[in-house]
Amino acid sequence: MKPAWFDYHAPDNLEDALVLLGDAGIDGRVLAGGQSLMPMLNMRIVTPSVLVDINQIASLNSLQAGPDELRVGALVRHADLMRNPAVREGWPLLAEASNQIAHRTIRNRGTVCGSIAHNDPAAEHPSLLVTLDGTVVAASAGGRREIPAEDFFDGMMSTSLEPGEMVVEVRYPRPRKGACFGFAEFARRLGDFAIAGAAVMATMNGGVCEQARLTIIGMGDGPFRARAAETVLAGSTLDAVAITAAADEVRSAVDPGEDVHGSSSYRRHLAGVMTERALEQAMTRARGDGNG
Amino acid sequence: MADTRFVNQKMVGTSVVPDEAIPLVEGEGRFLNDIRLPGMYHAAFLRSQHAHARILSIDAGAARQMPGVIQVMTGKEMLGKVDPFESMPNRFSGGQSTQHWLAVEKVRFVGEAVCVVVAEDRAIAEDAIDLIEVEYDPLPAVTDPRLGEKDDAPLVHETCPNNYLIKRDYERGNVDEAFEKAHLVVKRAFSIGRKQALCLEGRGCVAAYRESAFTLTMWMSHQLPYVVRHYLAKHLRLGEHEVRVIAPHTGGGFGQKASIYPEEFVCAHLALGLRRPVKWVEDRLENMVASTHARDQQIELAAAVDDQGRILALDSNVWVDVGAYSTYLWSAGMEPLQTAGLMPGPYQIEALRYVTRGVATNKTPVGPYRAVGRPSASASLELLIDDAARRLDIDPVEMRLRNLIPGEKMPYRNANNLVHDNVNYVPCLKLTAAKAEYDKLRAEQAQASDNGKLRGIGVACFAELTGLGTSTAVGPGTLLQPGRDAVTLRLETTGVLTIAAALPSQGQRIMTAMTQVAADELGIKLSDITGLTNDTAMAPYGFGTFASRTAVFGSGAVIKAARELRRRILALAAHLMEVPETDLTIVDSVVQTVDRAKTMTLREMTDQSYFSAKHIPEDLNPGFEVTSFYDPKFGSFAAGAHTVVVDVDPQTGHVEIVRYVAAEDVGTIINPAVVEGQIIGGIAQGIGEALMEELVYDADGQPKTVTLADYTIPSALEIPTIELHHANTPSAALGGFKGCGEGSIIGAVGAVACAVADALNRNGGDITAFPATPERVLTGLGVLPTDS
Amino acid sequence: MAREKTIQVTVNGRAFEKTVSVRRSLADFIREDLHYTGTHLGCEHGVCGACTVSMNGRSVRSCLTLAVQADGAEITTIEGLRNEDGTRHPIQQAFLEGFALQCGYCTPGFLITAIEFLEENPDPTEAEVREALSGNLCRCSGYQAIVDAVMSMSGKPAPENA
Ligand SMILES: Cc1cc2nc3c(=O)[nH]c(=O)nc-3n(C[C@H](O)[C@H](O)[C@H](O)COP(=O)(O)OP(=O)(O)OC[C@H]3O[C@@H](n4cnc5c(N)ncnc54)[C@H](O)[C@@H]3O)c2cc1C
Ligand code: FES
Ligand code: FES
Repeated sequence: MKPAWFDYHAPDNLEDALVLLGDAGIDGRVLAGGQSLMPMLNMRIVTPSVLVDINQIASLNSLQAGPDELRVGALVRHADLMRNPAVREGWPLLAEASNQIAHRTIRNRGTVCGSIAHNDPAAEHPSLLVTLDGTVVAASAGGRREIPAEDFFDGMMSTSLEPGEMVVEVRYPRPRKGACFGFAEFARRLGDFAIAGAAVMATMNGGVCEQARLTIIGMGDGPFRARAAETVLAGSTLDAVAITAAADEVRSAVDPGEDVHGSSSYRRHLAGVMTERALEQAMTRARGDGNG
Repeated sequence: MADTRFVNQKMVGTSVVPDEAIPLVEGEGRFLNDIRLPGMYHAAFLRSQHAHARILSIDAGAARQMPGVIQVMTGKEMLGKVDPFESMPNRFSGGQSTQHWLAVEKVRFVGEAVCVVVAEDRAIAEDAIDLIEVEYDPLPAVTDPRLGEKDDAPLVHETCPNNYLIKRDYERGNVDEAFEKAHLVVKRAFSIGRKQALCLEGRGCVAAYRESAFTLTMWMSHQLPYVVRHYLAKHLRLGEHEVRVIAPHTGGGFGQKASIYPEEFVCAHLALGLRRPVKWVEDRLENMVASTHARDQQIELAAAVDDQGRILALDSNVWVDVGAYSTYLWSAGMEPLQTAGLMPGPYQIEALRYVTRGVATNKTPVGPYRAVGRPSASASLELLIDDAARRLDIDPVEMRLRNLIPGEKMPYRNANNLVHDNVNYVPCLKLTAAKAEYDKLRAEQAQASDNGKLRGIGVACFAELTGLGTSTAVGPGTLLQPGRDAVTLRLETTGVLTIAAALPSQGQRIMTAMTQVAADELGIKLSDITGLTNDTAMAPYGFGTFASRTAVFGSGAVIKAARELRRRILALAAHLMEVPETDLTIVDSVVQTVDRAKTMTLREMTDQSYFSAKHIPEDLNPGFEVTSFYDPKFGSFAAGAHTVVVDVDPQTGHVEIVRYVAAEDVGTIINPAVVEGQIIGGIAQGIGEALMEELVYDADGQPKTVTLADYTIPSALEIPTIELHHANTPSAALGGFKGCGEGSIIGAVGAVACAVADALNRNGGDITAFPATPERVLTGLGVLPTDS
Repeated sequence: MAREKTIQVTVNGRAFEKTVSVRRSLADFIREDLHYTGTHLGCEHGVCGACTVSMNGRSVRSCLTLAVQADGAEITTIEGLRNEDGTRHPIQQAFLEGFALQCGYCTPGFLITAIEFLEENPDPTEAEVREALSGNLCRCSGYQAIVDAVMSMSGKPAPENA
């Protein structure tokens, strides 16, 4: 179980990295935390001929929580994100959900942007980005572009990144006042990829949900935005009836794949249960401090 | 009766901190992959991606040309040079299989080795593998034993009609009559998925030509060095004396490393040809498909029960999906025969009937794994007992008490012809129930829960036949019928005692146990005892570590050898000290008169005997070396009873173990902390077996669980704190020892299965297929459709 | 493009300069090139934790890190845990006396992970210990003795070396 040959580059600035990636085209891969790429290399599931290791590019190791948004550079590790006080305070959904991502040692290396670029359908970050209405900043030798989360993910382990392009940063707008979060996921063991999960951000005003963003994890095609359920929730008080109705909408909307951890019908069922649990959390928080 | 006397018992029964563990905790263990010889090459195997196919052609041209590649070999090229693995005819029906070390003509499971590449390093060998082109003609695969036994099923081996590698019909006692007169007949189906022993370290070997005085020296991650030596010699057509086998530190065995596999034998063959050391280290992807699997049984069980809840007869049908070949040495009979044959467990069963089959399929062969057969046998019977108890409105514990073999009936011969003696079945059950406050648990269970969870309670009892001697066959059809095992004790020139035995430890601290026994028998300080093990060039003959036999054999042989050695020491000391032998004893490595008036350290004595031998009469041998063989003749039963409390989440199907109380009878305990580790480790594996672990294949025979992310074993979060209690009684073996390596996994599978079923039964559901994955639990509760 | 690269690493306090194949994992580098074989490989895909080492003060999977990525790094493996006088690190001693290893194959990963965890949380609850160790698999022990050994360190001064 040893990787096939590749050419290895470890540029110390972004410009060089982008040139190398541009030259390599579809044969090139970014090496970030390596927590998903290295297993695939070891197993020879992927055999890129060029690896561009971005770990030496100090400018990518930047985590900034501003008044309007949170900017997470391509070298920010899961561990950095979940421990950052400004993130815990302003984007508690990110910090909380991170605890379900793998284990401490893997979180020490794995990056947020790597998760997003990898788009494993059972991973948390792609769905969190959609829930929080974030944006991906992609760069190539030809320039930069900003891609709204929902346009970025396009199918199982696939994104709208072009060959030669990489994620340099992801941005999360600061949640509006009154935003309440809920996150629930089910996996066989803590740290395993989710069989199903749900992330919700509900914006409450005077006890009424103005808007909800609800994303389901683990359904096979990357983040699944549950729009029908969101419609049901908008205008409700996140009461039991609304929650049940939202969960029903989720169950009828999702079309999960299956693997050794769960059949399609089990995943569909769980999607409903996780929706209920995430919404109950959000509701509890809404009734508590209305912020959290 | 049990001989439990020690000359001077101080150490036996003490949790002596094992010196053996020091290198391991300091990072200085020597595992197989740590061995590196000058000029060593590395092997990698091309493996079949097909479950069943004819090999049309193999083109290894490009691989042979690759720089760094030393040799590429196919099965055809090896034909006639070595002897393939032929399973042995047994006295039951079923055909035989021939397993070539590298597939010739046909591949029969995904992962079967087809070609080997030897290269300068492993990565290059893998590069070369990628260049080899094999053309296959796919054949229909057999993937379900119930379909595979049909007359029109494709055949895995032409030599095995109906794909039976073994089929046995058994009846003893009057089964029909029992069912006719029964007050109640209960029936239950039970199935359990395929398992992987999942040693954290895979298999591996370093095969070296003329590395020492031997033609072939073989380092191998294995439980049975002498057995490996025997078969290497046989199949490579060498003299057994030309082969040396060393088992280095081994990262788990659990039976998976007790079988004989092709890969290591291929490496040995290549090393002899190349006259260079060849190393192969099985990686995890290989291990998941190339090392034996386990379990994979389907059971249909019926019991005839009288109105008092007494079981009158058992009648079972067993199918085991044994995979593509009859596992070498142990045969395909292991799981089928033990599952059905040991079904009665610790219960008084007077009439027994079964039909059991090992059906060949196009999957990885099934071999021994901790407690072969019995976890399923026990779990299916325990579930059936719960069913009967419910129908008769008898408490499950009470029902078990009425059926367990009580002490006053021992020795008791069961319908499977095994004799139970010196074993505490009833006390174990009473102890676990008392410690768990069973009645209180049931009372609490009857109250509605406020956490939305469904509570289940399971109690299971088990019997574990350990330390099998020559009079009890390990299994019909196995090539290996172990005999006696030996230990050599040698008092070195320094007065230090060396213990040598071919009983490798995969963490069981066998040498520590033998050291403790020797210390007590001889009166030698622990710090004056060292151990040598695992090397056929240094240890006397022994069959190795498997079937919970090692502590019994090793300690028994130590006792025998120590008594002889002590006799010799005292004879010489009497001469040197000029006192009668009968006045002497040995305490803390000092020979002394009972009144301590005269003393002589062992060191002083060995000094004289080795280096001033002229003062020693000829009949008093200066050498202090004794080899003793020991055979306990019959096995001895260990036992236990476990109580498990679970909470089932009816929304996700998740099962959480909230309490685990085990009571065990493991005979005389040598090292309590070591025993506790064995028991708790077995329970953890049993929890994994009952709830989490399953190797999945699709209908074409493609494995779906090929990584540790797919095959989920418990982490520290899935295993609760285990409360462990003892109700020990000595066995009839020397020292009163019993084995404790396997039993607890049996109790765990049974108790956890019963607890989950209890939670479901009380809520209108049931579960018959294990592991009780969340999805199966929800299906059992009717939350999910059954066909999901 | 060169398939080899010369790197400088400090392992267990000793500085090395070595030329390595770019595809060599840190685990293979430490084991095969530096002969620190105390770090073990149980899966080579990140799940088992046996290969865990400390790199620049953080635990990492050495099977999921390339040797070339360790250029300039400070690494501690199980061999580097012992105290300067050669005695065992307190947690090694706790593992030994607490019977927290059977086959010992998982031990290097548990020790490195536990040391990092205890530095952050010197006085943990049992639940916290179990969670912190949940990325390390042990097939032999059932975890109880390992958890107890780590708990026995609770409240003791933070270990020095790793
Ligand atoms: C045992 C284990 C358990 C895990 N459990 C979970 C889990 O529960 N949930 C979860 O979400 N993840 C889990 N992971 C994965 C982990 O979170 C990874 O860190 C993450 O998915 C990928 O991040 P990385 O930085 O390691 O990316 P890498 O492994 O370096 O890269 C992954 C892929 O993304 C590409 N890539 C990386 N960064 C960029 C970039 N900036 N621009 C463009 N492409 C890029 C790479 O080329 C590669 O194709 C687990 C991993 C392991 C080993
Ligand atoms: S070997 Fe690295 S995690 Fe298993
Ligand atoms: S002690 Fe063997 S894997 Fe942990």
